[in-house]
Amino acid sequence: MSFHMVTDKPAPKFLNLLQIRLPPGGVTSIAHRVSGVFLFFTIPFAAWLFDLSLRDTGGYRQVLDWLHTPLLRLVAALLVWSLAHHLLAGLRHLLLDVGIGVERLPARRSAQLVNFAALGFAALYLAALA
Amino acid sequence: MTRAAQGLRAWLLQRFTALYLAAFLVYAVARLLLTPPAGYDQWLAWMGQPLTGVALTLFVAALALHAWVGIRDVLIDYVHAVWLRLSLMAVVALLLLGSGLWVTRALLLAAMRAAQVGA
Repeated sequence: MSFHMVTDKPAPKFLNLLQIRLPPGGVTSIAHRVSGVFLFFTIPFAAWLFDLSLRDTGGYRQVLDWLHTPLLRLVAALLVWSLAHHLLAGLRHLLLDVGIGVERLPARRSAQLVNFAALGFAALYLAALA
Repeated sequence: MTRAAQGLRAWLLQRFTALYLAAFLVYAVARLLLTPPAGYDQWLAWMGQPLTGVALTLFVAALALHAWVGIRDVLIDYVHAVWLRLSLMAVVALLLLGSGLWVTRALLLAAMRAAQVGA
């Protein structure tokens, strides 16, 4: 995707990431990408764990033990956020595709809803562990 | 096929696979939360069922296609050196195919084990 803006100002020489204020839709968009790439990287590990869990009782226990370690719980929390955000942002995309919520204000609200709901799911997961 | 038709095909593929992935995930997570397997035997019995096997194999295929289109878009946007982009795409294809076949194999073995236990 590329944007071509007609402007008199010269292009910035460098980008100060802290000064860029992304609108909610922009945050949703980049988070959709980030979560998608993260989910892609989890695929081979998920396949391996799935196979191990079905091999025998020992494998099943091993996978459960690993899933209960602090490191994998952190990864799981990240996974919950990624799945929730990717799924909700994807649904928002599908709705936008068929012309629902395309106007500025609804699009902004739905983007905020997606961003907060995904964080909410991750928080819910962490709370369920505690 | 023209380039535009290829893009449209990828665009449609991304959306149709998304619908199946979303529906399956919501169902699977809900079922895992509501009736978690009590142990290995129940887990094996669940994964060894024919319907589970078919639905999960479809899920794996849909996920591989979905991830392929998405990661390809990301690589096209950020990796401009053609040799590097093609190499990374080959690695991605291998990872997705390998993972998909691995899960399919695990499902087939689970179905066979479950049938033995049930007999």
